[in-house]
Amino acid sequence: MNTISMAFKNLRKNFSFYALYILSVSLVITVYFAFTSFSMNNVMLEKISGDGRVESMCKAISVFLIAFVIFYMSYSNRFFLRRRTKELGIYALLGYRKESILSLLISENIIIGIFALVMGLVSGAIMHKGIVFGTTVLLNLSIDNAKIPFFNFIAVADTIVFILGVLFVLALSNARFLFKTSLMDLVRFEKSAERSMKFRKISALLGFILIIVGYGLALDIFRGNASLWFSVGFYPTGLMTAMLIVAGTVLFIASFLPYAAQKSKRHKKTFYTETKIVTVPDFIYRIRSNAKTLIMLTLLSAATLTVSSVMALSLFYPIAAVARIAPSELEFRIEEEGQLSGAKLLVSQYAPDNSVTYIQTDIYKVTASAEKLPMEYSVGTSKGSADNENIFREAGFECISYSQYVSLLQAQRRNDIVGKLSVLQDDECILVKYQPNADGSNETGSIYSLNIHDGSIPLTVKATTLNNPISFANSIGTMIVSDNVYEQIKSGTVLENSIVSINGEGIEDNEKLFEDMSDLLDNSPYLQGHSHRVNEIMSASSSTFLLIGFLVVLFFIATGSILYFNNISAVSDSKADYEILSKMGYSNKKLKKILRKQILTFFSIPFLFGLIDCIFATIVYKTGLMQDLLGNTITLYFPTIIAVALTASIYFIYYFVTVHTCYKTVLNA
Amino acid sequence: MPTLLEAKEVTKVYRKSGHPSLNKVSFRVAEGEFIGIMGASGSGKTTLLNVLSTIDTPTSGNIWINNVNLKSLNHTSAADFRRDNLGFIFQEYFLLDSLTIRENIAVPLTLQKLPPKKIENMVRSLAERFGIASQLNKYPGELSGGQRQRASAARAIVKKPSILFADEPTGALDSSSATELLNTLYEANKELQTTILMVTHDAYAASFTKRILIFKDGCIIKEIMNQGNNRRDFYESIAAEITKLDSAR
Repeated sequence: MNTISMAFKNLRKNFSFYALYILSVSLVITVYFAFTSFSMNNVMLEKISGDGRVESMCKAISVFLIAFVIFYMSYSNRFFLRRRTKELGIYALLGYRKESILSLLISENIIIGIFALVMGLVSGAIMHKGIVFGTTVLLNLSIDNAKIPFFNFIAVADTIVFILGVLFVLALSNARFLFKTSLMDLVRFEKSAERSMKFRKISALLGFILIIVGYGLALDIFRGNASLWFSVGFYPTGLMTAMLIVAGTVLFIASFLPYAAQKSKRHKKTFYTETKIVTVPDFIYRIRSNAKTLIMLTLLSAATLTVSSVMALSLFYPIAAVARIAPSELEFRIEEEGQLSGAKLLVSQYAPDNSVTYIQTDIYKVTASAEKLPMEYSVGTSKGSADNENIFREAGFECISYSQYVSLLQAQRRNDIVGKLSVLQDDECILVKYQPNADGSNETGSIYSLNIHDGSIPLTVKATTLNNPISFANSIGTMIVSDNVYEQIKSGTVLENSIVSINGEGIEDNEKLFEDMSDLLDNSPYLQGHSHRVNEIMSASSSTFLLIGFLVVLFFIATGSILYFNNISAVSDSKADYEILSKMGYSNKKLKKILRKQILTFFSIPFLFGLIDCIFATIVYKTGLMQDLLGNTITLYFPTIIAVALTASIYFIYYFVTVHTCYKTVLNA
Repeated sequence: MPTLLEAKEVTKVYRKSGHPSLNKVSFRVAEGEFIGIMGASGSGKTTLLNVLSTIDTPTSGNIWINNVNLKSLNHTSAADFRRDNLGFIFQEYFLLDSLTIRENIAVPLTLQKLPPKKIENMVRSLAERFGIASQLNKYPGELSGGQRQRASAARAIVKKPSILFADEPTGALDSSSATELLNTLYEANKELQTTILMVTHDAYAASFTKRILIFKDGCIIKEIMNQGNNRRDFYESIAAEITKLDSAR
């Protein structure tokens, strides 16, 4: 029998064994090919990247991708080789030369490679088309889809050459393994002698301590300016924290977990039960022989979770912040006479008048005196401390009336906020904050005396709010006063600005209208648009997310498949154990319970660790690197929660498939 | 002695056209008996052990153990029946590699939900009787074959099963370890009144039993009783019988 037909027969006979391998390799190739096609798609790149930013990111990510594909394929290759060592030993015993065995392995790898390549290229092309379509819709791009080929032949060639290269590397490593291992070792490879287990107390404790210190350091960021993150610096502290946690994780998994499990055996009441007496020793045994894989998976899943949750947060946050930066669908400052009527005329071309509201807000700036004035009072008065540094702002509160406030909120359809308001008395005001005070303090109860022409009006801050009705481009230090006080101010103060806020369903998400409006207002910097801002953020960041998305998907495939292979292999290695348990009187139900517990432990270590790491990393990222415009609301963590939930469900699917396959392996025996 | 196990007309056919692996086999085992099953490969010994131990079901015929008809058991109740009534020793020991010897012996007791203190005491006293008390904290991989098989016997006997099935227990042992194990089984039978059904093809091992059934082509073709108390004589008569059977082939 020649090696090719032998390889074919082998693969066909062990189809279920190899199916997942082929599937996972083809998934990896799918992602690789879709990515390569995308990075070679000039039609697309021209649209989303004006400055070559996306191109250079593509290059950086492709390095990761290549490294990753090589790592993943050699891991799986190694895994399957180990499982077949005995079989290869038998070939050798029968008189096959090692060269023939090697050529058998290479033929098998080539067959698998071809299958996976064909599947990967087709599904990669579909995935690429899907991404192009999705991006086009999401970003409102006008792209002629017909111009983008289903198969980009340069990308196909690139992928084929790359996979051939990987297969060549695998062949080399298989050759090394075959020629280095003696016949005796080949035949007896699977039953390598068990070393007696040692439990190192010191490294167990050290692992525990390092992790706690690492997390403690992460939490230190809450101390604000006093924390190490500010006094020593963000990046050195970040690096230190990451190193502590990585080192801690390594020791925790390799030493602390087996040590703790060993100690838990002392608790006789819980240990001498039908499940624990099997699962606890099995856990110790497996964690010791699989510590490296488990550590790698844990770090991988921590990275995946952190990247996806930070990614979700950094996309969601600016979009959530648009509600503050541009609260109205369109808003501008009247700088010339006739602008309002011009704007109305323009809007009427796009939407019927009855679907749009126009609100003109007159803002009066008033100076004030108090023991301590809030930061917003004087923000922007010196160069460098505000958004628009080149515009010099005079200090003062910018007053609007309570009824204007309410009608603006209603026009912006923020009725939930309106519902919570109570009418302002004449000696009260609401202060709009730019961002929450860093020390957590609040101006509520402070008294500010507004200076007007015939004296002063002392106002008590009834509440502070982050729900500004007017964009920061047009008003900072906004103070909401009662209608009576507003009239009083109005009569003796020069008008600061007149702001027009336009809202309504009819004009939402209309880029063309925004452009026309911008032309009408001579590109005024005071023109702000809600949908426009959202679209801007989407198109600026979508390519980044798309590219990182490729990596995240790949990580998931890898983590899940490695966990699957690892568990299947452990369970089929100890198939005899389950048989003997069954003979002793363990019912199938109990055996299933034991299996589930064993597999769950191995799935939950990387997931839970990854989750905790991700939570701490997200906290640090949010507190240290993001502007605090929205305060601390739980809704902010919504995307993070979604990212985590998605991860959890992917893990769950893999867990479910793994459990199912293990049931089949063990109980069909 | 009351009957513990009764097999009546037990037949097992694996393939419709093929020869039956067991062909209308009937026999009884009394409580406290030590019985041997002998025969060449393919004579039906393993099939018999499988159907007696509820791991496989006969095509026809009935088996009663402790007055329970094995036919009446479903998957789960069969597992419970094994838990409460049966013990096993195998040629390959089948100890759980990741568990210490102590834990291995304790497993059947945890399945019976005994209190931990009692489990520990039972494990210890049996280990002493079997000469493996000093090995209790070791893993199977650290023990010799003979020690492993004694641990496996201790695991089978510790729960005081109604009947112990031993499948070629000395098959992988050297002669002195084999003798030790057989003596242990012999004593367990004598002192603890454990009923033992041992499958073996070794006349020496068989000579430790009180009665032997010889199988051929799925049928019992001969029964040899140990009439005297001398093991040596019994061995001679088994060997003679086997030679006779062999020369008839």
